[in-house]
Amino acid sequence: MLAVGRARNSVSTFRRSSRLLAAIGAVALTATLAACGSSSSSGGIASGQKIVFADVAPFSGPDAALGPTYLVSCEGTTAAINKAGGVLGHQVSCTTADTRGDPADAYPAVQSLLSRTHNLELVIGCTSDEAAAVAPVINSHKTVMFCMTGQSLFDHKHYDYFYRLVPPDLAESYAMTVIAKQLGYKKIALAFGNDIGSQTFVAPAISAIRKAGMTMVANETLDLNATTFRTEAEKIVQAHPDAIMTEALGSADATLLSEIKQLNGGTVIPIIGTSAAISPAFFTSAAAAVGASDFANNFHADNLVTATSGPAYDAFTQSLLAVKGKVSGAQTGDFTTYFTAPGAVHLYDGMNLAALAMIAAGSTETAKWKPYLTSIGDGVPGAVTVNSFAQGVAELKAGKKIRYVGPGGPTSFDAFHSSPGIFQIDTYTPSGVVQVSGNITDAELQAVSG
Amino acid sequence: MSIFLASVGFGLLTAAVLAIAAVSFTLQFAVTNVLNLAFAAVMTAGAFTAYGLNRAGVSVWLALPVAMVACAVLSVALNLLVYAPFQRRGSAPITIVIVSLGMALIIEFGIQAAVGGISVSYKMSQGRPYHLGGLVLTGVQLVIIAISVVVMLAAYLTLRYTKLGKSMRATAANRQLARNCGIRTGRVITITWAGTGALAGLAGTVYAIDIGSFGPTSTDLFVVLILAAVFLGGPGHAYGAMLGALLIGVATEVSAAYIVPSYKYVIAFVVLLAMLALRPTGLLGARS
Repeated sequence: MLAVGRARNSVSTFRRSSRLLAAIGAVALTATLAACGSSSSSGGIASGQKIVFADVAPFSGPDAALGPTYLVSCEGTTAAINKAGGVLGHQVSCTTADTRGDPADAYPAVQSLLSRTHNLELVIGCTSDEAAAVAPVINSHKTVMFCMTGQSLFDHKHYDYFYRLVPPDLAESYAMTVIAKQLGYKKIALAFGNDIGSQTFVAPAISAIRKAGMTMVANETLDLNATTFRTEAEKIVQAHPDAIMTEALGSADATLLSEIKQLNGGTVIPIIGTSAAISPAFFTSAAAAVGASDFANNFHADNLVTATSGPAYDAFTQSLLAVKGKVSGAQTGDFTTYFTAPGAVHLYDGMNLAALAMIAAGSTETAKWKPYLTSIGDGVPGAVTVNSFAQGVAELKAGKKIRYVGPGGPTSFDAFHSSPGIFQIDTYTPSGVVQVSGNITDAELQAVSG
Repeated sequence: MSIFLASVGFGLLTAAVLAIAAVSFTLQFAVTNVLNLAFAAVMTAGAFTAYGLNRAGVSVWLALPVAMVACAVLSVALNLLVYAPFQRRGSAPITIVIVSLGMALIIEFGIQAAVGGISVSYKMSQGRPYHLGGLVLTGVQLVIIAISVVVMLAAYLTLRYTKLGKSMRATAANRQLARNCGIRTGRVITITWAGTGALAGLAGTVYAIDIGSFGPTSTDLFVVLILAAVFLGGPGHAYGAMLGALLIGVATEVSAAYIVPSYKYVIAFVVLLAMLALRPTGLLGARS
């Protein structure tokens, strides 16, 4: 970001100034509203009013595909919750805050969200791009958040209201290395974007590659705002890697891969992506850039194990299909990709956990329902396993204790409210359908972990 | 192939696209007196106009002139509806710059609202690769370079030998004096908006072809490169913009080969700053 930041500073002062003014305005607004009385829902919601879940994520900028993916999940989940009678008589709705994938934009966006949104019960999203900046703010507001970040910061810094159902980023780097090892690759090139979310993978990947006995032959940092990556692509091609590990969202990966293909005599070098690559937007742009067959034949990505059948999967897919074509920014590509998109699956589970926790607590006061997240997620002795919100409500009404197991599988929250899952290997078909092509065991991860 | 040779070749390709945009931008600035920061957003509009047609089955090469016309209309409309009213009211140049920044955001987010935040690509063949002294360029990339050369020649011939070109130069030099000499400066300015708008559409489409995958925000940094090329060459100087584009294009790619690639634009701006420190009016600007 240094290059972009400096370049913009030198020439586009006014853009910065307008951002600064917007930030000052947002802070002033926050302070004014705070003085008038907090809109926090921590004190419970009045009868007849709607509960709000907020999707805090990039809707613009290089990572703009993430926000709509989470919004599909939010709209689908809340529709299913409302269809099942809502939460304690309240209907649930979704709102959004565009972080642009940049902490500088995310902070005022979240401040504005918190000050303007009445009855906000849950925040979802908060990716690695902005989590470090916004999680403390949301935590101070005493609002529960389910974040899609693997940043190691949250492995040892405790935020009472922070939860995540995704593994640490370093585990994902290890998983990519295991994929390379399973496929017999020896020489690896790294090509990661210069955003915070992508750069967190680099150091653990270098360590894991070394530990796995492979060789890192190139390590290119891609400026996500750059116009082309021809020279970077040429350096990678000249290093003759067996595979490229990459995460550079937006148009960066698609541009890089098309330039590599051109410079490599029309041949695509095998690609190993992160779970963020499992999204319709990523497939659409990459397949358009290098050709769907070429991309599908040369692409693998790590992903968390998610159900592909059974009652939890059925309830999840029905929820999402109910909003197919209705969510702004999510009309691209094969809709079924959302069924395995980590954001869609795990945030669906997070929202259901929160809604069931409110019902179990009999209250929308955050302090009262928050403890139920862990007990319903991890289960307690004698709990009945439920696979959907509607099923959970029925069992709670029958006076039973429940354990929610959604399409993302059972949770196991640690002291930092992190519940890492189990990895699998995903591929795409040329039409963009996600397929599971293998699994990654704990032993394999341990073998390459630093 | 040596990485140096490859990066110089890639720099020439970047410069080819940048030159079309920079020449158009600097002509627009010189004649209309508007530093139009929405120029890159107009380029994006052109790229997506061509994309819409391409998705409907039209060849991108046939969609290109349509994108140029669309951007010409958009640019004229921008001037008539936004910039000209501010200028008539005697707004300071800095006010117009801020207005243009606002228009850039409106156009960019408008496109994003219409097409979403995803990246797209044209359906087209890149043509067979050509090996030129160790450098590999596709047929399409050679066509882009050829288009750029034609545009540069056309700009030179128009400015130098046609009545319109002379009127544009006169209007740029002294609008009041040009009007007193019988030049219909209002008409010249409108034609300039249309012409430079069309070139923005051309630049946007070939830029999108060149980078392979593009989105609504893809020109965010490109506008900075355009400004760098324009100010390096000397603002308002078409030939300076060509030279500036060449230097910026090659500097960014060569620096990417030898330092951390994400710093490549920093190097380009170090070159610009050094140049401006030594010669504040740019390479081809007047000394005083």
